[in-house]
This record gives sequence, structure tokens and C-alpha cells, in this order.
Amino acid sequence: MPRPSGRGATGFPFPVSRCYHERVTTPAAPATTELAARVQDLSFSYAVPGGEERLALDGLTLEVPAGAVFGLLGPNGSGKSTLLSLLAGLRQPSAGEVRVLGQPPSTALRARIGLLFQETSLDPLMTAGETLWLHGRLYGLGGRALHERIGALLESVGLAERAGSFVSTLSGGMKRRLELARVLLPSPELILLDEPTTGLDPDAEAALWARLLEANRAGATIVLATNKVNEAERHCDRVAFIHRGRLAAEGAPAELKAGLKRDAVWVEWPGFTPALAEEIGAWEGVGRLTWAHPTLHATVDAASAFVPRLFQAAGDGIRAVRIRESTLEDAYFDIVGASLADGEAAR
Amino acid sequence: MSAAAACAALLQRDIRAVLRSRSQLYSSMLFPLMLLAILGTGVSEGLDPTLVRDGDYASFLVPGTIAMTVLFSSTFSSASYYQDRDCGLLRVLLASPHEPQVILLGKALAGVSIGGVQALAVLAVAAAVPSIDLEWQYGAVGVVLAVAGVLLLALLLNGFAQVVAARIRTMQGFHLVMNLVLFPLLFFSGAFFPLEHLPGWLKALAYANPITYAVDILHLAVYAEDAGGYIGLPVDFAVLVSLALAAFLWGMSRRTGYQP
Repeated sequence: MPRPSGRGATGFPFPVSRCYHERVTTPAAPATTELAARVQDLSFSYAVPGGEERLALDGLTLEVPAGAVFGLLGPNGSGKSTLLSLLAGLRQPSAGEVRVLGQPPSTALRARIGLLFQETSLDPLMTAGETLWLHGRLYGLGGRALHERIGALLESVGLAERAGSFVSTLSGGMKRRLELARVLLPSPELILLDEPTTGLDPDAEAALWARLLEANRAGATIVLATNKVNEAERHCDRVAFIHRGRLAAEGAPAELKAGLKRDAVWVEWPGFTPALAEEIGAWEGVGRLTWAHPTLHATVDAASAFVPRLFQAAGDGIRAVRIRESTLEDAYFDIVGASLADGEAAR
Repeated sequence: MSAAAACAALLQRDIRAVLRSRSQLYSSMLFPLMLLAILGTGVSEGLDPTLVRDGDYASFLVPGTIAMTVLFSSTFSSASYYQDRDCGLLRVLLASPHEPQVILLGKALAGVSIGGVQALAVLAVAAAVPSIDLEWQYGAVGVVLAVAGVLLLALLLNGFAQVVAARIRTMQGFHLVMNLVLFPLLFFSGAFFPLEHLPGWLKALAYANPITYAVDILHLAVYAEDAGGYIGLPVDFAVLVSLALAAFLWGMSRRTGYQP
């Protein structure tokens, strides 16, 4: 996998990089693979108060293979939700091309797309059954087939007993499951999920994903926008790192993590210098170093050996250290040079 | 922080919010002034019980009450746009495989239906009250005329409400604007006092008021003994059909003012 040198940006002699904006792509899915979605040089800007234009997507190019569970990983404000709304045809791009299920997005095409919004989108004064009935009618379903489908879906998401309950009486997890049932009701070929598990407890999250993966096995392509690394790593066949509206990297989670050592170490170290980077980078068992003030990020063979040595070198300059097994978040930091938690502040 | 400081902060915040909401600011000042000018003049110069048939003001009021019911119902139905937006349902509706106009049409037709049914229910109750004397000069055709008048008025008001909802971001602002525009229109529409005895300037305003023609249809269909002193059904329907269709189509062609 190509790696950024970052020398020009930071002045660091080697392997330290700051913010990396070029696209890094691991071997893609075979060219013959049918695509569920493709965006080419996609840009989208919108007006903000004061008449200023803000760029949400900046020349993004991306391909989503049919049948995949495809993750869009990036911090808040990176452009993930905007991309989903463009795929669903709810917005028009400022520039570039969008193809979904082989067609340009259109109102009619939305009959084949299921969209789960980030925020709860339910009428509290409707019952669970009525919510699904309205949605079914909007998607051209009706009669006994619709009622049977509603019954089956409520059963599958564990809400059969609550069909007659007002939405306002459901818990947060139940509401999310009801929304999932609503998305699945018209049997969409492409399911767009915008941070679907935010606020759910682990059991509810597992139940939600079990149902989603069932739909995926039945042929639905899933595009997941999230800033939860574990979720993307666990469920996605391929993941795209989105940073400031651009594609920073794309590939299978294992491919994106291929260059990482076993342990990830995050060090809050305001006094870090290029000379120290050169010295530490030469230590045995140390992989790539990434520096985004005041955080030094490194993946290493063994944190148990690396951290004591680091304290010896740094003296009292280190404020905090965090250690864990390397994840996609480390790959993200390595490639993008910013944390997934940075959010809007990174913009 | 002390309670006084907290109260002061809240006071400052609410005043700032009102000053930023021009619709709320202007409406809250203009509405009472218009009420004073129009209703005050109408009551002073037009509301003499001996000027209505047999001095029976209660029966005279029935068509106006029906018009008022349509007005209230249309306003509240259109306000459901804000409820749908705030609970998130609107974004789901707009993300469905239908054009936004279809969603708006469905909601507007619901408003028309609800307003129509409520108004006709009021008419049915009024007709059943023994002390209320309705003439029904056209017999059964009068019922058809009343239904047509109610539905046309509901179409007009729902279309207008959709236009307002596209431009006003808050439900409070929406209600204020609707009240500011519709209540004065209702007051000098002939709903509460006969138009023929009003001063010329108020009569001119009344004839420029679309609700006047709906109230005239309802008076002729339900209350009046004959067509004397009224505008007349041909003009009423010509004006109301034109305006109702124009307002409704205008309302349907608007942007939703909302990005899912």
C-alpha cells in the first residue's frame, strides 16, 4: 500500500506525516463487479448564513460494489451524510456525476432505495403499525400483502407486541428498530444508513445488525455512514475514509490496516519535535509515526516496550498516553492525519 | 448564578428572539390595530340587529360561523406541516419515491377534507337547532351550493396556508401571519354584519376580499330568503373558483422550504 511521506508538509525528515489528503486506494474489487453506486468527481456546496458557500464534498470519486456492506468512515462534518443524500437523490450535486443502481438518482429510483436517517424520523402520534402502513402505501404496497409484510417485519425486529403502541411510548432502541423495519418494508436493493446505531445499547446494536446482514445476504447492498470504527470494522466488506469531503483511502478493513503494527499508542506530547521523530522512528518495532499537534500517534510491535522507552526519552513532556490494539481508527489517523473524533473542529 | 440573573438572561434571550422574528413582531402589533379599525367600524355602523332578517342575528351568523370553521381548520391542518417537520416525518415523506408536490397535495387535500367536514358538521348542527331559522331558498340544491362554497373556501385557504408555510420557518410565526391576514378578511367578509350598510371604503375592501364571496354563497344557499342585497351566485362562483384554484396551484407549486 502506498504511504505518504509527508516531508514537504511537516519538515520532518521521515516517516512522520501531518495531514494527508491524497487518495490511498488498496486493490479494488474486480473491475467486472457490478456497482450499486458510483460517484465521479462529486462536489457539493451549500450556502451558510452570511452568503458564504461551504464545500461539503470536494471532488469525491467512489465505487460501491453491488452486494457489499460498504462503510463511509469519517468524523462529523466530513461529508458522509451529504453523500448519502446525494445517492438518494435528495440533493443535486454542484459538480460531478452520481450513478445509483446503474441510473442517475431520481424520484422514481427511490422506490429501490431504503434510507435510514441519523435522527429519529417518526410521528409520535402514530402507532408502530400505522407508521409501517403509511410507508408501505407510499411505496406502492397495499392490501393483504402489506399487512402480512408489516406483521413479519414487526416480528423480525421484535416489535410484534407493540404494533398498536404509539411511537411516543417506545424506547429509543424500539424506535430505531421500527425505523429499520420501515426501511426494509419495500425490500430495497440499496440501503443507506446514516449512523444507524448511535445511542443504542450493545444488544440493540447487535439485533439491528443481525437484521441488516440478513437483508444483505438476501441481496441488498448496504452503505453505512459512521464514525464508529468498531462498527465499520466488524460489518463492512470495504471502507472509505472520508476527510473534509474527499476520499482519503478506500479498501477492505484488513487492507487498510495492513501497514499497522499490533499496538496503537496515542501520546499527548506538546513538545514533540522533528528530531525526536527521527530518533523514535528508528527504534526497533516502531511502525509509522503520525503527528497532529499535540498528539503523536504510533503503531508498534509491543507497547509494553515502547512506552517506558518513550517516557525515558521525553522526560516530563508527556501529558497522557493511550494504548490499545490497532484498529481502523489508527489506519485513519495514519492516512488522514486527524482523529475521527475531531469532527467539525478539523474543518 | 442568581435567580434574577437567570431571569434577566431568559428575558434578554426571548426579546432577542422576537426582534429577530419580524413576522411575529409586525403581526402582533398590526393585528390589534386592524381589528380595531375593521371590527370597530363594522360593529358601530353595520351591526344593527334590525338590519338582518327578522332581527334574527343568530341565524344570520350561521354562514359566517361556517366560514370561520373552515378558516380555523385550514390553518390548523396546514400547521401540521411544522409538526411533521419537527418530528422528522417530513424528511421521510420527501425521501419517498414521490415528488414533493405529491406530498404537499396529499397534505392539502387532507386539510380541505377535514375543514370541509368540520364546517358541514357545524352547518348540520346549526340546521338542527330549532331557534335557528335557515331559509334554504334553493331547497336541496342549496346543500350542494353550501358544500361547493365550503370546499372552494377550504381550497383557497389551504393553498394560501401552504404558501405561507413555505416562507415562515416557525409555527408561531405561521400562526401569527395567518391570523394577521385571515382574521381581518373574515371580519369584513359579511360573516358578522351585513355589507350593504358599511361605509364605502370598508365595502370596497370587502369586495376585494375573497372570503366575502364564499360567505355570500353560504348566505344565499342557507340563510337568505332571496338574492336581494347579495353579490349573486354567478359572480361568487366565478371569483371563488378562480381564486381557489390559483391559490391552491400556487401552494402546490411552492418549494417545501425544507431540505431532508
